Amino acid sequence: MINQMNKVWKRLLFLAVLTAAFALPGASWAAEKPDAVKKDLLEKGKKVYFKRCVWCHGVEGAGDGPSADRLFTRPRNFNQGTFKIRATDSGHLPLESDLVLTVKNGLPGSAMPAWGEVLNEDEIVAVVNFVKTLLVDRNFDDADEEVEVQQFGEMPWKTEAGPLKEQNLFLGVPQEAIDQGREVFIKNKCFECHGGMGRGDGNPTMKDDWGFPIVAADWQQCWNFRGSRRDPYNPFNIVRTISTGLNGTPMPNFREQITVEDRWKIAAFVNSLCPRKKIDKLTNKPINDFLISSMYTKEAVAKKIDDPMWQAPDDDPKLVKRAKDYPGTLNKKHYIGMAGQITRGDRNFKPKVDNLWVSSRWNPEEKAVYYLVEYHNRFLPTTPEFPEGVAIQWPSKLQDLYGAEKPYFIYGDSKKPVDVWKAVLLPKDYNPTAPPKDDGFQLDVHVEELNGAGFDKVEKKKTPPTVEIVDSVFKQGRVKILFRRSLETANKDTDVQIPSEKFIPVSFMQWSGVNKEKNEHMAISTWYYTILEPTIPDSIYYMPPIMAVTFLVLEGWLVWMTKRTRRMYDEGKVN
Amino acid sequence: MNNNKTLTSVILLLVGCGVFHYLIFPIFTPKEPGWFLNRYVYFLLMVAYIIGYNIILNLKPPMFFKATTVWGVGYYFYDAVLHPHIPWTLRITYMMLWSIGTFLYITQDPVTFKEFRKPIVKTIVGDYRMARIVVFIALPVLVGFATYQSLLPKFEEPVELRTVHPAPPATTKVHGKSYTLEGLQNPFRIDEQDKYKDSFPFLDADKQEYVKYITEGGTIFFQNCHYCHGDQLNGLGMFSHVFNPTPANFVDPGTIAMLRESFLFWRVAKGGPGLPNESTPWSSAMPPWEEHLKTEEIWKVILFEYWYTGWHPRTFDEESSSGSEKKKE
Repeated sequence: MINQMNKVWKRLLFLAVLTAAFALPGASWAAEKPDAVKKDLLEKGKKVYFKRCVWCHGVEGAGDGPSADRLFTRPRNFNQGTFKIRATDSGHLPLESDLVLTVKNGLPGSAMPAWGEVLNEDEIVAVVNFVKTLLVDRNFDDADEEVEVQQFGEMPWKTEAGPLKEQNLFLGVPQEAIDQGREVFIKNKCFECHGGMGRGDGNPTMKDDWGFPIVAADWQQCWNFRGSRRDPYNPFNIVRTISTGLNGTPMPNFREQITVEDRWKIAAFVNSLCPRKKIDKLTNKPINDFLISSMYTKEAVAKKIDDPMWQAPDDDPKLVKRAKDYPGTLNKKHYIGMAGQITRGDRNFKPKVDNLWVSSRWNPEEKAVYYLVEYHNRFLPTTPEFPEGVAIQWPSKLQDLYGAEKPYFIYGDSKKPVDVWKAVLLPKDYNPTAPPKDDGFQLDVHVEELNGAGFDKVEKKKTPPTVEIVDSVFKQGRVKILFRRSLETANKDTDVQIPSEKFIPVSFMQWSGVNKEKNEHMAISTWYYTILEPTIPDSIYYMPPIMAVTFLVLEGWLVWMTKRTRRMYDEGKVN
Repeated sequence: MNNNKTLTSVILLLVGCGVFHYLIFPIFTPKEPGWFLNRYVYFLLMVAYIIGYNIILNLKPPMFFKATTVWGVGYYFYDAVLHPHIPWTLRITYMMLWSIGTFLYITQDPVTFKEFRKPIVKTIVGDYRMARIVVFIALPVLVGFATYQSLLPKFEEPVELRTVHPAPPATTKVHGKSYTLEGLQNPFRIDEQDKYKDSFPFLDADKQEYVKYITEGGTIFFQNCHYCHGDQLNGLGMFSHVFNPTPANFVDPGTIAMLRESFLFWRVAKGGPGLPNESTPWSSAMPPWEEHLKTEEIWKVILFEYWYTGWHPRTFDEESSSGSEKKKE
């Protein structure tokens, strides 16, 4: 009975919508039937599903496979027919082509890999059709189901692909469009969830349809956009998400509120926030900058993070030209990929921080080196029991390392101990739901210098402190910590002594307080190298002209020789 | 008249190579190359085109132009056609040989050599005025620039060479029990693996004991290992990009396909910290799984990895038998 009534209502609603569609000249969408399940493919699809998908998505497709509890962003529960990335309206079922694209490209930033390299087209279509039969609450073949495919328009600007062969960077979107997009962003209050700088730090209390915690996307890490389709810089992906919303999440569609033209402008704004890096096609992540160069700095190194000296953009300088108005040379920011420490002791399967950005300078007169470590974390802790932390790890004794030898990457080992500079921090006057401050939040910060000889043999050093945090700030989802240490210290036993012009192993650790991370329950990087770059030699100014002039003289001699030979031919002295 | 012919030849070469490189090359490099649609056939066709129009139109280009074309085509081959791409050090060696070949072609007799030298000599003595000015200014500038580049301090990440497969020890102790790796078998390999190609984990786990073990092994894999070794067992898990060396790709024929199960057992149980002291550094992030998994769980994961990838472990048959023969002697 209720069902009958429902159907009547749905039909009435449909009629109303239909009339509206005809009445409104601007509304160009139209209702269609969802793609029916292709029954002849189910047997093949089932085989693929139970070999490849069942481990995360579960036997019944309820997103409860063996891996589910150890994943943040849990696997999709298919039973409700709720799919995030679609070309159809909010709440509607997806098109078959949407699901095929998702399987092919995976969902970057989650554990869902791109299957396009492993399965062929037939297998993907088959498994998609099998997944469609795992719906319990809805049915692709239901007569009442309808889908409205959205209109996204065309990208209104001409963009440049940039210098990478395999990746379109979509450079050169007009600044005007970006600025207008920012206005639309403010008008529609996107910052309430995504934060003022788009780092997803707006709302700490969001839940998805199943009651699991969920966070807003960090726009400055567009390679982690689930719907990026392995084309992270393409603004189309953003227009699609604004137009269709993400089913099952708090992200609504803005079909009514924002015109298609304005959606493209928001996309331009969102897109402009994402640093341009070379993205590895296989892992959907930026390629790590395995060599962290510390820039030789003649003048005194600035001790304030706000100083222009530390304002290098995140973009790879080889891909994006830098503004010319910066005085002096900017150093490079290095991308450091982070993973959960899932190797020893108390393992961390759901780290909150995906990467760090590290830049460095050193000054030979001051005999000191500075490392600016930056990372995104949407929310910081408020309790001293689980403070936030970030650390730089060094081999304690560089002279004892033979060749490319390094200590064990988790707090060293008994033969090769490590020196860890850990910044422990807690923001002042902060709570996660507080509105953002323009200058950011100041941090209560102190250094713990640790001596590690194994993940279970970590102790605080008793020698005098050597590492300083000269400045730190937490601003709109970004933590910035500026470390300083003199190159040499009195305690040569457990403090690393930093030489210049040498490759020195270095690695990083990070603890998210809100995730209750502590000790070896952390995020970690592998070993990188850092080098204190030497100054540019003076000979670079006089040697090139000398060489050029010498070469010119040689050329003159060649001309003289050739002419003489020719004359000898002419005079018949040589045959 | 002669100049016109040379000009035609230059235009046909540039336009033709452009068309070949930008339009025809993509056609000849599909994802799966065939016996005709492959890059080497493409290259032969391109060479045939260059020779073809010169002969058919009777262009007879000058020697200098011929020689540069031959040299350029060789460079193009090593740069764009030859696959996989060769490192630049090797390319320099190949191009040296190619240059020598080109030189031999030029100097096949004094007439061709003289003809080849003609434009060079004319540039030097000033018969070609513009060419001389350009060359004589450009070259010193280039030399200066090269000096600048070589003096500019540059740093590249040091290259680290690694042994791929370490030598396993003779015995290993896991969870208090000592195992001799030679002859050690997977206790759960109770049947021929290929019989279960089309079986379903979970669904057939009640009916087939082997599939039950695979399901249990897969469950452990997808709770512990997939972060690095990937949902596809191809070493591209969600944390894989962080590590250096990158996690092992089990689908690749060079990893588990050429190893014994006992080797995997040792490697999984002892992880990175259990690697031998020789050939360090390993820098492996592999956990010593004996800290997190039971002995039978390790064996089941190994069973699962072979079932999923379809590889068969190397067996002891030949070596064990040869070993026992030696003993008899």
